[in-house]
Amino acid sequence: MRKLLTTTAIAAVALMALSGCSTRTDSSGGGDASAAAGFAADSLIGVALPSKTSENWVLAGGLFEDGLKEAGFKGDVQYAGASTTVKDQQDQISAMVTKGAKVIIIGAADGGQLGTQVKAAHDAGAIVIAYDRLILNTADLDYYVAYDNFNVGELQGQALLDGLAAKKPAGPYNIELFSGSSDDANSAVFFNGAMSVLQPKIDDGTLVVGSGQTDIKQTATAGWKAENAQSRMDALLTSTYGDKTVDGVLSPNDTLARAVITSVKAAGKDIPVVTGQDSEAESVKSIMAGEQYSTINKDTRVLVAQAIDMVKVLQKGDTPEVNDTKSYDNGKKVVPAFLLPPVIVTKDNAGEAYANDPKLSPLTK
Amino acid sequence: MSADTSPRGGLRDLKKIFGGGSSNVRQFGILFSLIAIIVLFQVLTNGLTLSSGNLINLVSQYSYILILAIGMVMVIIAGHIDLSVGSVAAFAGIVVATAMQDWNLPWPLAILLGLFVGVLIGAWQGFWVAYIGVPAFIVTLAGMLIFRGGNQVIGNANTVPVPDGFTVIGSGYLPEVGPFTGYNNLTLLLGLVIAVAVILMEWRARRVQKIMGSTPAPLWVSVLKVVLLVAVVIYATVLFAGGREGTSFPVSGIILGVLVLFYAFITRNTIFGRHVYAVGGNKLAAELSGVKSRRVNFLVMMNMSILASLAGMIFVARSVASGPQDGLSWELDAIAAVFIGGAAVSGGIGTVTGSIVGGLVMAVLNNGLQLLGVGADLVQIIKGLVLLIAVGVDVWNKSQGRPSLIGFLTRKSKTSEFPPEPPAVVPTSGTPETARPSDVSS
Repeated sequence: MRKLLTTTAIAAVALMALSGCSTRTDSSGGGDASAAAGFAADSLIGVALPSKTSENWVLAGGLFEDGLKEAGFKGDVQYAGASTTVKDQQDQISAMVTKGAKVIIIGAADGGQLGTQVKAAHDAGAIVIAYDRLILNTADLDYYVAYDNFNVGELQGQALLDGLAAKKPAGPYNIELFSGSSDDANSAVFFNGAMSVLQPKIDDGTLVVGSGQTDIKQTATAGWKAENAQSRMDALLTSTYGDKTVDGVLSPNDTLARAVITSVKAAGKDIPVVTGQDSEAESVKSIMAGEQYSTINKDTRVLVAQAIDMVKVLQKGDTPEVNDTKSYDNGKKVVPAFLLPPVIVTKDNAGEAYANDPKLSPLTK
Repeated sequence: MSADTSPRGGLRDLKKIFGGGSSNVRQFGILFSLIAIIVLFQVLTNGLTLSSGNLINLVSQYSYILILAIGMVMVIIAGHIDLSVGSVAAFAGIVVATAMQDWNLPWPLAILLGLFVGVLIGAWQGFWVAYIGVPAFIVTLAGMLIFRGGNQVIGNANTVPVPDGFTVIGSGYLPEVGPFTGYNNLTLLLGLVIAVAVILMEWRARRVQKIMGSTPAPLWVSVLKVVLLVAVVIYATVLFAGGREGTSFPVSGIILGVLVLFYAFITRNTIFGRHVYAVGGNKLAAELSGVKSRRVNFLVMMNMSILASLAGMIFVARSVASGPQDGLSWELDAIAAVFIGGAAVSGGIGTVTGSIVGGLVMAVLNNGLQLLGVGADLVQIIKGLVLLIAVGVDVWNKSQGRPSLIGFLTRKSKTSEFPPEPPAVVPTSGTPETARPSDVSS
């Protein structure tokens, strides 16, 4: 018995040494040639997504899995663990490179911390597409596909103006501004987009920001948390709107919009025109009930389909279409981007906007 | 039957890769498991596990966890625990990244600054543990909160990028120099040096054994051992040197290697190292024997924080930025590596090399599962179970007085370890552990 085990142990080591010699040749990387000439139609396509904590990512993962399979590719869709997203994602991308993925689609947990892995992927001949969130400080990112977030802001600003005009024929209107968490690069993009529409109206006196808080630092909502937006709105109502009415509130997303509405209701005031974003089920209900004024529909299905279309084009060896080659500077290069137009949703067009959405469609009936 | 003793001697000699001590069998078992896991994943992934690209990834992905494990095993040997390593790493990382961004500090100085931050934090924690007497669990739990918060205060919960020069320690490789050979020349040289060192060390060990008057294992056992080790070194060298152009043995791996050699020497061969074991094994006895236990505890805690700072900087360099999530749950990975590597919760037992092998078991497992496309959720479950089973089997076997599953496989060879007689005296069959009741019953 003893002899047998010892021999086995030694044999195992020897076997490893031998098998190594034979695999040596195929260990060197593929090189860049494959990127230009397309790749096999059944190639491995890696998709690295953040943790499963958000409904949106879970939906996207399922859509990628089905969509890639349907297109004939081998899909490898990975989520990072909830508490170790950055490291998991780094390791998963490395593993995809090792497995020879031809395209790697990354929904970054932290867009600033993937430079090394994106470089490794690029050096191995894989094409890297940033999905929804831009990857920063790397010259090796090939494409970016996302909804146009500046446009989201513009639409929110326009919706606020439309809602106010419908509510009261002439100004001046009292409004308050809310923006997202300051550690999220998108927060400023939303806010600047909205202000590009609102600022001229503030300047000509049509809009009056009652509290005078128009700076993004003053309007920020730490961590995108509802409780922070609610307590800021409580404070504003007390300090500024004792005897005035607030006509409109710019809110960057649905969660904060509902927090603002909750605060106004608790203060016993009329609900102002409140914007939103994300098409959360609760907010769609609120819009249909006539409370929240608008939200933004960024259909994950369309975004995933766009990313998979890019993979199909790359497979043939062609260059995928992009519609923005100057806005997305990630610190090392201006990343060619394909931006999808977001859709503004109010009570008027909700039925039409969510017609293809099995979950939201019934709410609009 | 006469040939029977030799392979056993070979196994025993292989076990001498580790230090001495009663956890020897356990550690040899872990090495055996590591080889088994590598072979398993090599088959399951169709050879991807032992491919150049993957081995290089493996080293750069886990070097900082293994660096933490080095410090952690010393903390655990001394009978403490350190929960703050992840937060300390994140804190040092953000300080270094901010210093380079805002003050334009050159990166070599920034690394020194990072290490200095580690010294300060370590002195703070060591002071509370050693001189005030607050249990390390509490001190480092507090540290975990304090330095995580500190990271977010300094970085404003933002991600701070670092300059390219700095990234060398986390994502750099041995440079390409000399004539074109199809391999990375410096990595080949490194491999050659290690191979020669293996041969010299075995030769020296035999000489010392002779001088001390003990009977060395038969010559062919030594030769076999050296041949096997050199084969592994050559094999690894060829893989590391033959990676994609521009990649080779990672710089972080070299840092790790130097630290392993240094700390293995410290713990095994220096007075301070023996004092750490003494304090962890029996504090009172150690103090009565003149060991300054406070000083030992202080230095051990301080050392851990310095290594944590280094690990944090390597991670930041690899991620090309310092972020608010850095270091989350690293303490658990490091602690798991140490216990899988054969350390005892009660202190006094454990080795640096054992912890490295324990960490590698987790690393290969993680990496192999990722190559197979297993999701992060399942990977966590599997890693949890492996930790529980590895330590559970060990604890159970201690209470039962019989070896673990792995120990069972290698049990016969263990017998040559405990009796002081030369191996030839040990019976070649039957149950040599008859003194143990469980063996009689089984």
